[in-house]
Amino acid sequence: MKEVLAYPANYWQTMYEIWLFIAVVIYLVVFIPGAYFLVKYRYRKGVNEKAQHVHESKALEVLWTIIPTIVVIYLATQSFAFYRIQRNAPENAMEIKVTAFMWGWEFEYPNGKKVFSFFNSVINPETNAYLKPEEVNDMFKAYIPADTPIKVLCTSRDVIHSFYVHPAKVTEDCVPGRITHMWFQINKPGEYWAFCREYCGTQHSKMAAVLKVVPKEEFEKWLNEGMQTNNTSYKQNL
Amino acid sequence: MYGVTSLVFFLIAGLSALAIRMELYQPGLQYMGEDTYNKALTIHGVLMQFWWAVGIWSSFGNYLLPLMIGARDVAFPRLNALSYWFFFAASVLALITLLPGNHIRMLWTGYPPFSLNENAGPVAFYALIIHLLGASSLAGAINLVVTNLTMRAPGITLKKMNLFLHSFLAMNVIQILGVPALAGAVTMLLMDKYFHTAFFDPTRGGDPLLYQNLFWFYSHPVVYVMILPAFGVISEIVATFSRREIFGRTSMIFAIWGIAILGFMVWIHHMFTSGVPDWIRIVFSYTTVLIGVPTGIKIFNWIFTLYKGSIRFTTPMLYILSAIFMFLIGGLTGIPLGLPAFDIAVHDSHFVVAHFHYVLGMALTLAAFGGFYYWYPKYTGRMYSELWAKVALVLIMIGSNLFYFLQFIVGLEGMPRRYADYPAIESWVRLHELQTVGAMILGIGIAVAVLNLVFSTKFGKKAEDNPWQSPSLEWLIPSPPPPHNFDKTPHMPEDWDPYNYEWLEKQHKKQ
Repeated sequence: MKEVLAYPANYWQTMYEIWLFIAVVIYLVVFIPGAYFLVKYRYRKGVNEKAQHVHESKALEVLWTIIPTIVVIYLATQSFAFYRIQRNAPENAMEIKVTAFMWGWEFEYPNGKKVFSFFNSVINPETNAYLKPEEVNDMFKAYIPADTPIKVLCTSRDVIHSFYVHPAKVTEDCVPGRITHMWFQINKPGEYWAFCREYCGTQHSKMAAVLKVVPKEEFEKWLNEGMQTNNTSYKQNL
Repeated sequence: MYGVTSLVFFLIAGLSALAIRMELYQPGLQYMGEDTYNKALTIHGVLMQFWWAVGIWSSFGNYLLPLMIGARDVAFPRLNALSYWFFFAASVLALITLLPGNHIRMLWTGYPPFSLNENAGPVAFYALIIHLLGASSLAGAINLVVTNLTMRAPGITLKKMNLFLHSFLAMNVIQILGVPALAGAVTMLLMDKYFHTAFFDPTRGGDPLLYQNLFWFYSHPVVYVMILPAFGVISEIVATFSRREIFGRTSMIFAIWGIAILGFMVWIHHMFTSGVPDWIRIVFSYTTVLIGVPTGIKIFNWIFTLYKGSIRFTTPMLYILSAIFMFLIGGLTGIPLGLPAFDIAVHDSHFVVAHFHYVLGMALTLAAFGGFYYWYPKYTGRMYSELWAKVALVLIMIGSNLFYFLQFIVGLEGMPRRYADYPAIESWVRLHELQTVGAMILGIGIAVAVLNLVFSTKFGKKAEDNPWQSPSLEWLIPSPPPPHNFDKTPHMPEDWDPYNYEWLEKQHKKQ
């Protein structure tokens, strides 16, 4: 089995490949006869001055109504099957709360630890351009354990934003007054971008966060740093 | 008048697009700040949608409808004037937003609660523009539907009516049903902002998704307002230059109405990631992909119209064939956007932008230019320059495919749309550079096409009355048409049909 960088991106990838194959076939089915007719039936003096009349053909028309209908219904059903998995987090998922605001993200972990990532933290103050993920200060990075499904509960403090995890190929809007959800899992430790996908004002294009994916033990260590007291109260609340 | 106004706005919107492209050439902010970028984006979106894609067809319809049905004018000429002047007033207001101090930054969509935020710009202004345009569209649509249904000359039955008119009828019906939803949405927005109602404001119990539902209930069907007349123009031109009637003419008419009806049943696909219930996403994914079926029927019928035809590669025909080619790519990339399993990764990415630029950007614009060239002798009594029209087409096709095809790829790689700046991910940077080059070539192509139209009004050769040898009614009278089109209402004979090319030959022989 080939290694999967992130879930549920693998389902997206399969859906993409199925669609691409069908799209190319349909394209050729239209393009080849089209090009052939254009050459064969072009007007030439003395050869093809008059059109012959073929007004309709019930059989053909029924054919190109029924076959596309079957194809699109198949695609929608296939998508339905994948979407159920892409949409619903596995039961053992770790929950984090993401609250979007103009213009940044607040990540809250199960033990109450919070990380803020906002536009000042991902840009270079001199050039006003994006920093590379590794240049961003660790304190603004959202730590994520590798190989662990993460369920994101998302909301917003002001306007609609959209939380998009780049490698996992999944996005969901963060709507004020509602809690939306999504899930992802990244298997390879490293640093990845999360972006805002819903237009939210001046700094929309700078509303990014760095997800720092680390092995589980390292994540546990980071999670409990400076959280001793909170941690106990969290456990008591359970 | 309509046509010139739309064309002017098309050029303004095009220039703002080039500005956007320049900024995206490289990561970082080179030429403008984020704020200016967002204004440019808003202007580009609003003008292209409402002035170009919708406005241009109003101009076609207004001019051609009476000619094609043998009427002296539309049913309510004064209402028609009112409709134009509302359009004009909205145009002036839209131009005012270009002046400093009035910038609207909330994009053409104006989603609350962002649009209720100070950052979004003057909402009242936006609402006023939309209302004026809406009133203009409604007046125009009602006028043209009545004209079409009641003023057809004897002998022009619904069955014998030009396919362009069928698509135009469907377009206007969509307008009449859809515009009130948008008008309602922006009115509620206005009241939320200035009268402290709470339709959309979640802090006071409103629901921001309600706006999206109302907005897309109009704004999705409106894409068919834009593209159906383009289909109509394609049908006219393909038939004329293949010298035969459209293959499967009846199924074409049913496809038009199928698209119009299904168009109202798919708007949730704009909200697949917005937090609406999961089951509704699935239901709407089925209705969305089904719209591919009537669209496919139209494409197959066009292709089979070529079969056993006698095809003439005139300039309008070349534009139209390019439009079908672009539409095919645009259509095939629209299907996956109707599949939540795919859309979840590319929603609000450049993939979507590329998709609708293939369909509404290129297929529509190529069809419109094809239409300009086709009816140019009718409008002006002169011919355009063949050479420059073809040069323009080549530039447009190279530029737009370089631009938009790479936009698909950058979208698949996850680049979010509406970004003034982006991180220096290597492949994104390269793709954006090439796209900007494509956009420049496209810009030059459009400029050549437009200059050709402008200069030919003065320097073009005199055209014959019926340069394309078409039996469609608008070609049977002198070009340009006399002030009242027809001296007396024409009675069309039994064997006449807008696509019966033998009929025309017989008439010539009789003379």
